[in-house]
Amino acid sequence: MTFGHGSDRLLARASRSAAWGGAVLALAACGGGTETPGRQVDAGAERTPAVVEVVDDAGRAVRLERPARRVVSLVPSVTETVVALGAADRLVARTRYDDAPELAGLPSVGGGLDPSIESIVALEPDLVVAWNAREGRLASPLVGAGIPVYLADIQDTTGIFTTIRRFGALLGRGDAADSLAGALRDSLAAVAAGAGEGARPAVFYWMAGDPPRTAGRSTFIGEAIDIAGGTNAFGDLRARWPAVSLEAVVARDPDVVVVPVGDGLPDAEDLAATPGWRELTAVRTGRLVEIPADLFARPGPRLGAAARALREGLEAVHPAEAR
Amino acid sequence: MKASGDSRWRGMGLAALAFALALALTAGLRFGAVGIDLAGIVAALRGDAEPAVATIVRDLRLPRVVLAALVGGSLALAGATFQALLRNPLAEPYVLGVSSGAAVGAVAAIAAGWTAAAAWSLPAAAFLGALGAILLVLRIGTRVGGGLDVRVLLLAGVVAGTFFNACILLLLAFQETDAFRAAMFWMMGSLSGAGWASVALMASAAAVSLVVLLGLARSFDLLAVGEETAVHLGARVDRVRTTAYLVASLLTAAAVVAAGGIGFVGLVVPHAVRMTWGGDHRFLLPASFLAGAAFLPLADLFARLVVAPGELPLGVVTAFVGVPFFVWLLRRRTVGEPA
Repeated sequence: MTFGHGSDRLLARASRSAAWGGAVLALAACGGGTETPGRQVDAGAERTPAVVEVVDDAGRAVRLERPARRVVSLVPSVTETVVALGAADRLVARTRYDDAPELAGLPSVGGGLDPSIESIVALEPDLVVAWNAREGRLASPLVGAGIPVYLADIQDTTGIFTTIRRFGALLGRGDAADSLAGALRDSLAAVAAGAGEGARPAVFYWMAGDPPRTAGRSTFIGEAIDIAGGTNAFGDLRARWPAVSLEAVVARDPDVVVVPVGDGLPDAEDLAATPGWRELTAVRTGRLVEIPADLFARPGPRLGAAARALREGLEAVHPAEAR
Repeated sequence: MKASGDSRWRGMGLAALAFALALALTAGLRFGAVGIDLAGIVAALRGDAEPAVATIVRDLRLPRVVLAALVGGSLALAGATFQALLRNPLAEPYVLGVSSGAAVGAVAAIAAGWTAAAAWSLPAAAFLGALGAILLVLRIGTRVGGGLDVRVLLLAGVVAGTFFNACILLLLAFQETDAFRAAMFWMMGSLSGAGWASVALMASAAAVSLVVLLGLARSFDLLAVGEETAVHLGARVDRVRTTAYLVASLLTAAAVVAAGGIGFVGLVVPHAVRMTWGGDHRFLLPASFLAGAAFLPLADLFARLVVAPGELPLGVVTAFVGVPFFVWLLRRRTVGEPA
């Protein structure tokens, strides 16, 4: 398989989804504008309120009378996207998992899946972003209270670009969304170009746990492995985050093991000291890549940085002349 | 003379429980993660508060405390019924595996995608799961215990409960990790997201069951003496038992659909009522319903205040009250004292 096959297709798909209006309908409430709808939302948010309507990840229409000004995001990757769109000042709450310094001063509404709904209502948000989970039990009381709810379920690169575009519309920051998506697309393309042509090492992405899990093909991590010039050792599995046994990993004998490291997570040294795991070829020959878990924890605008870190790690343990 | 004294004592008991229920509902409405003073609560109920406060009080807290009361009352009523049928104070929906059976039905309906096609499939599947569970437990009980040996039945319930929890985990093994986290709320119990639709479902199940079971109360009293005696005294034992098992399973299923698996309410509440007032089932059933309805809003209030703005799973709170009580009860019975 030639290099770049998968990642070219991926990037093409990503740019397509960024270029097309797709599911986003940014409608101008008052007709007669000569500018494009997105631009009018951005420029005229104060004087001419523009109705914004997008479809969320659950396929529901989310309609705002005007771009959101008071946002509660229960989904950390969306929170990151809102901040990256330069709209951190629109966030009025955080969850107990949001640790970014720009959010430290905000009141917490509890966990992302089990927040205090009345605390959210008390903040009088005009947009709540919730997980598409729990059979709509989180969303229904908020919707009943007349608060627009966006249900998020972001799994892959396409989802990241779609989310950037939709929140550009919801926040009236279409231009910022265009440039953010453009920058992300460029940085992914640069990483893919840097990987060049040649043999692609089989990469095993190790998510510590009992049992350990890995990233399947249709996840942003699986796609980042392709972009960074590797092939996912478990890319054939359909599950998104499949549990894998040590035996299966040994049988596939990956060229490189990627270890996300962070607070409370085991690092490459721990892996190399674990019976069974230390017998893997990649571990014995030191082809372990540590990457900051923080970068890979959330499918958001930092994917470019994540792919770059992965690329640099692969380059270090699997240099071009070895191919 | 004595009988009329007893009935007055029990009448006072019902009045006291109704008062406790009113207090519990008021407390549940009054306190929450967001501080609202009493005047604000009253204004919101009368409809002249600012929108956010009105929403919190009328659309979030009110359905939640009402649902908590209905679920608590239903679980206690189901517990009292199972205890009458099995003639044992340790029986209750959670211990007998009936709650877990209902949860398996609910999770299966979600996993198979039926709930997306038809909303009623969730309560229907939960009811079938609850019914299947109690049938399985009774079958194991009669096969192995040769009748209604209490220890065998309780063991069968524990085994069935463990098995059904394993079934839930098996169903989840084919789901994504997000679904797994969400299903934990089913297994641990939670009233967050209570709405008037759940209240309506739970209220209809509770109303029907209350009427049917109160009609059977005298037969339960006869059953308590012994099945043979009951037959001699004119109870149609089989019909009474079938109806009661069906209704108690329906109640349990409705409670699980509304709030997930909440244990030990059905154990603690009827027993506390029995210890305080004693009495026949014509008193015990409504008193248990009222006491359960007063207990669960308070447990839920604790669950949502102690780590506010986060929430504890409700099943954790009831288990922390219920398990020590269960052990104490078991110990008392093993020592040989009559319950």
